[in-house]
Amino acid sequence: MTLTVVNNATCTFCGCVCDDIELHADDVRIVKAKKACVLGTAWFLNHTAERKYPDALIDGKEATLDEAIEVAATYLHEADMPLVYGMSNTTCEAQRECVALADLLGGLLDSHTSL
Amino acid sequence: MGGKVTCTLGEVKNRGDFIIYWGGNPAECHPRHFTKYALMPKSKFLPNGRKDRTVVLVDIRPTKSAKAADIFLQVRPGKDFELITILRAMIKDQKISAEAVAETGVTLEQCTDLVARMKKAKFGCVFFGMGLSMTRGKHMNSAALLTLAAEMNAFTKFVAMPMRGHGNVTGADVVMRWQTGYPFGITFNRGYPRYNPGEFSTVDVLVRGDADAAFIIGADPGATMPQPAIDHLARIPTIVLDPHITHTSKLSRVHITTAVAGISAPGTAYRMDEIPLPLKPALKSPYPTDEEVVRRIKESIAKKPFWMPDGAQMIAAQV
Repeated sequence: MTLTVVNNATCTFCGCVCDDIELHADDVRIVKAKKACVLGTAWFLNHTAERKYPDALIDGKEATLDEAIEVAATYLHEADMPLVYGMSNTTCEAQRECVALADLLGGLLDSHTSL
Repeated sequence: MGGKVTCTLGEVKNRGDFIIYWGGNPAECHPRHFTKYALMPKSKFLPNGRKDRTVVLVDIRPTKSAKAADIFLQVRPGKDFELITILRAMIKDQKISAEAVAETGVTLEQCTDLVARMKKAKFGCVFFGMGLSMTRGKHMNSAALLTLAAEMNAFTKFVAMPMRGHGNVTGADVVMRWQTGYPFGITFNRGYPRYNPGEFSTVDVLVRGDADAAFIIGADPGATMPQPAIDHLARIPTIVLDPHITHTSKLSRVHITTAVAGISAPGTAYRMDEIPLPLKPALKSPYPTDEEVVRRIKESIAKKPFWMPDGAQMIAAQV
């Protein structure tokens, strides 16, 4: 097991987005988050790279990623008024794809801000 | 920036000598806001750090943040808009009634003192939280406070900034503004973006039962939304992208596990002052990123017939 150190890592837990965190990580988990606050430390230490969940679930049953993507695309395509919602705990790159998805669907697009 | 009078946190850190927190509890919700940006840092313009700053907290109860403030003003719940309006009148030396002031829970002496201090400041900054923007008056409260900050510029430099939470919500606003011209509550159902919160915002759409499919990413409405909205999500085909099996996953038809942004997925996130920062993941996830999954779903849909039939007439934009 190798220990990696990431300097000036970015914490996305709250809106402060602190970018001075020093992360110490082994292969599957972060063991130390220097300079992070209580909330940030909990955020970094509670997420691991373990395979804890199945790749995908369709109607509660385990499925492959490819199947889930096809089923999701079919549901969204068949809908008259599909909604794309959320986009908080994700990257700007994924958010851009979400906007393109809503545009392609002729659907609704909304974020946490409206809550 | 959506037209608001604001600045970056770097400017607050270096110049902000008068800080107001309104309806927020940074001591517990944004723990490093004080030390990194708003209260403690020493700079060329504030060589003594905290000693050179005056800090005011306006809230409905004394939270942990009150200990860090020099002045605490306890506003009566739901009276923020009234208090802001009184302050807006007072900075212009307009007459105000004693009853109106009494109703807010803050005394006239406190208001007079606050206005004097605001005008004396070299660089004032108001940070406002959900206690202002999510209570009675909602966006009207935020609009009033932003107007107060703008009007203060007749006397001195004054800015306002929302205390955003929830990871990259700021990024969502910025990306939607960049791509569509609007920050949230958007529909593409005429083939071009239209904006109308209340009509196209998620809670309203779900409670009315309008949407007939939902794609949820980086959020857990099953844990946060009103029950009628959750009930509708369970009725329609819901698709969830999340690193965990969430409450929403449990009522969804499709759940796809994805990597965690910033921990095992790279990308960009926006800070509350709309500064983009690169993410530096420390782990390698066995799951794909959100970006990859959304793109693949989009590509799969693009192969299917377009929703608007060939030759269909678009409804022209209404002026």
